[in-house]
Amino acid sequence: MTNPVVKATSYCLVHAPDMVLSHGTTLTMERAKDPNAPLLAQVKEGLRSFREVLAYPPNQCYIGNITPEELSKISQPWYENALEPKRQGHLGEIFPLDEFIAMMKIADSFDLVVLEENFAREVSSKLSTHPLFSPADLAILEKYQSLEQITTLLKNKTAIPLELAGQVVGCVKQAHEHDANLKAEIIFENLAAKASGALALKHLLWNNQLDPGIVDYIIETSEEACGDMNQRGGGNFAKAIGEVAGCINATGSDTRSFCAGPAHGIINASALVKSGIYKNVVVLGGGAVSKLGMNSRDHVKKEVPILEDLLGAFALLISADDGENPIIRTDAIGRHRIGTGSSPQAVTTALVTDPLAVAGLSITDVDKYSVEMQNPEITVPAGAGDVPLANYKMIAALGVKQGALERTELDGFVQKHGLKGWAPTQGHIPSGVPYVGFAREGILRGDLQRAMIIGKGSLFLARMTNLFDGISFIMEPNPGKQVSTATAPEKVVTVGVTLLGSEHGLAEVVRGAELAQRTHKNIRVVAIGPKESTSLPTVEANSEEDQRTTMERLLKSGEIDACVTMHYNFPLGVTTIGRVIAPATGREMLIASTTGMSAGNRTEAMHTNAILGIAVSKALGLTEPSIGILNVDGALTTERSLKELVKGDYTINWASSGRSDGQVVMRGNDALTGSCDVLVTDSLTGNILVKMLSALNTGGSYESVGYGYGPGVGENYQDIICIVSRVSGAPVIANAVQFAAEMANARLPELVAAELAKVGLTKSTTSQVEKPPAKPVDQEISGVDVLEIEDAAEALWKEQIYAEAGMGCTGPVILVALEDLELATNKLKDLGYIS
Amino acid sequence: MDMENQTRVLELVEKYGKDSVVVVLGGAEAEASGLAAETVTTGDPTFAGPLTGVQLELPVYHIFELKEIIPEDVWEDQISMMEMVLDVDEIVKEVTTYRERNGG
Repeated sequence: MTNPVVKATSYCLVHAPDMVLSHGTTLTMERAKDPNAPLLAQVKEGLRSFREVLAYPPNQCYIGNITPEELSKISQPWYENALEPKRQGHLGEIFPLDEFIAMMKIADSFDLVVLEENFAREVSSKLSTHPLFSPADLAILEKYQSLEQITTLLKNKTAIPLELAGQVVGCVKQAHEHDANLKAEIIFENLAAKASGALALKHLLWNNQLDPGIVDYIIETSEEACGDMNQRGGGNFAKAIGEVAGCINATGSDTRSFCAGPAHGIINASALVKSGIYKNVVVLGGGAVSKLGMNSRDHVKKEVPILEDLLGAFALLISADDGENPIIRTDAIGRHRIGTGSSPQAVTTALVTDPLAVAGLSITDVDKYSVEMQNPEITVPAGAGDVPLANYKMIAALGVKQGALERTELDGFVQKHGLKGWAPTQGHIPSGVPYVGFAREGILRGDLQRAMIIGKGSLFLARMTNLFDGISFIMEPNPGKQVSTATAPEKVVTVGVTLLGSEHGLAEVVRGAELAQRTHKNIRVVAIGPKESTSLPTVEANSEEDQRTTMERLLKSGEIDACVTMHYNFPLGVTTIGRVIAPATGREMLIASTTGMSAGNRTEAMHTNAILGIAVSKALGLTEPSIGILNVDGALTTERSLKELVKGDYTINWASSGRSDGQVVMRGNDALTGSCDVLVTDSLTGNILVKMLSALNTGGSYESVGYGYGPGVGENYQDIICIVSRVSGAPVIANAVQFAAEMANARLPELVAAELAKVGLTKSTTSQVEKPPAKPVDQEISGVDVLEIEDAAEALWKEQIYAEAGMGCTGPVILVALEDLELATNKLKDLGYIS
Repeated sequence: MDMENQTRVLELVEKYGKDSVVVVLGGAEAEASGLAAETVTTGDPTFAGPLTGVQLELPVYHIFELKEIIPEDVWEDQISMMEMVLDVDEIVKEVTTYRERNGG
């Protein structure tokens, strides 16, 4: 299975001073009690300018212009130590209120936001040069109304004002006359969450040059609820936000757990990616207007500026393994269970030390912990203390209790593994997630080995439970990256060998398996076949079909790391890379490929075979294998298409023929002399070559040299299955076991994924015909021409017969379920695919 | 002290009488613990909740002051880690001030 990686991150802020007064609950409650309460004027007086907001060091940290470590070196109070007021950072951007009001209009699908004419024109002209706003976005701003019309709406109490520097520049209308969940205040709050979330998503896509069409799924993790009177939290913010950003291929849903929402969202996204359900999942959250000015009463009292004047937003892209970006470990998730209890040490144990114990790590093995990264300048004056600091002390104290630290090391631990908080107090926004971007970059640079992200939520606020919530995950360097340069010691690899099916009898296969076990101490060979055939550990299977299902089960469960077998139907798109010994020189050479098919089209298949051959060669430790193309039909087209890749930034080390012209195209002589490390060919020709080179000295019916037909490789194919033939002799079988173990050690599927990603070889077209629901297929129909195999499968789908195109050892096959076999065979006959 | 807790304290006192109620605080910070102690003795100093102007004069302790009467294993499981983390002396000092001001 693939590892989920953190592929891209975005962090945006919106400066919303007017909304502090109009929508922050501290101020709206105060106004309800006394419209002339002094606090209202005092807060208004203490609001910051946009320039002050930009210059505030924690905000520059949020958008990536300074790191948390750099922030901690700036003396406090930070609001008295201004930085250069930059709007853009490499991780995000800070938006002023006028642009955000425009974004609320752009994000409004029901004409509920009304903008005043002059304001709309001005902001539209301002945004016309901003890269995040398209002409289509700006066209929405042309639907404005006059101030008189807006005043009438406000007078009728069917709308609430949108204010900028105290002036009405528009309004938000109620969406229903009587429905409390669609009143103007709720629509305002929800549109603010939607619009800020959409800004972060647009920024994520633009800043990382991502096509919105790649997003498969969106998980929205804010703390708002959208719905009507019959379903208060019906949802779905995620799709609404994806629509604004043009993610036409995405679906999505909302995940809620108070402040822990984002951490749950990231873990859910990781699971969706790891399972293969989706490849690209965005986790995002917009801001909460109700939390603006939450602690303003204390800030006024202690003469601190009104620092809670920002809406926070973030968007992260969690993707299938690319061999580069940091992974999210899915085997060590910390979780506050329902039965965990609420004492701080029970919570910290569940979130921090329990998952570390599962991963075999100590608390000091995590370089940085990201907890509730709330800005202490906001929380300390309000009597809530320095929240991150308190969390770090708890982790350290637990370490002392568990014996991982000395009491005297407590403060040092906090210094080394902790961070100063920089995020605005927007609940879910500071909760672990602000550091994911820095962690990603630190791990990519090699400065960090491991970070733990922790999200916590106060569920009791909803009065449904007294429980607390929390969840955590670990980010680490991508092992795929390590593998290519690694000198890590080889571990013992378990390789299965299926015993039945050889034309030389079961004893010959056993001899090969036992030979492999005697020769290689770092391989554990497990036989799959009839009982008491061998002294090797055996998993019983009494027919070839039984062997196949047993092998698949053992691979899936991890009981074996790889397997050697004969006659296996790989899915279409998977082909095997053979390994032979050139008879003239004794040089090893890979034949790409030898069975299966990487693509239906011949030259496309040869092109892909070259890349797959390079991946297998790298798995064998050759960093720059030399590539030759066998002189078969399509060789020159393949050469041209591969040379196109080299014009990009892909490197191919070309081999030269041993013949006088020294070309990339290899003649029959080169196959005998081994003039290249990887010989690219179509799979049927490759199959003939392996048979001839392996049985060269035996008269033909016994393959005595080489490593067999090799491992099946292809996009998303995760098993390591090495193929031998029914006439492969014991020496070849023993070598195939070694080959399989080498591929398992090198984590071949990850190298294949990385190599395919480098050249952008991912499935380009999806079928126009809808597949019937999948079911197990174990019946083969052979006789279909290789060029028509995919069409034949699709033809069956049209008849509502589930079928898969595959490649048997003897040629292409259509695989169907037993109950469909007769009907499918007849259909294929009728349509002329088989005779 | 938040409104709900003030309401609960008031209800318990009305039901069982002042002499049967002891308040045990678990606050993590000295100032907030002091405010809570003040609320249940001389009344809500923020003039926001139901205990505004209500002098309950209840005996009030922080949990850190009650270590001797708590079984050791419970203390170990529930409190010992936070004892290491929090400023115990400052919290106890603050709560004691209000209790003693109350003559308790």
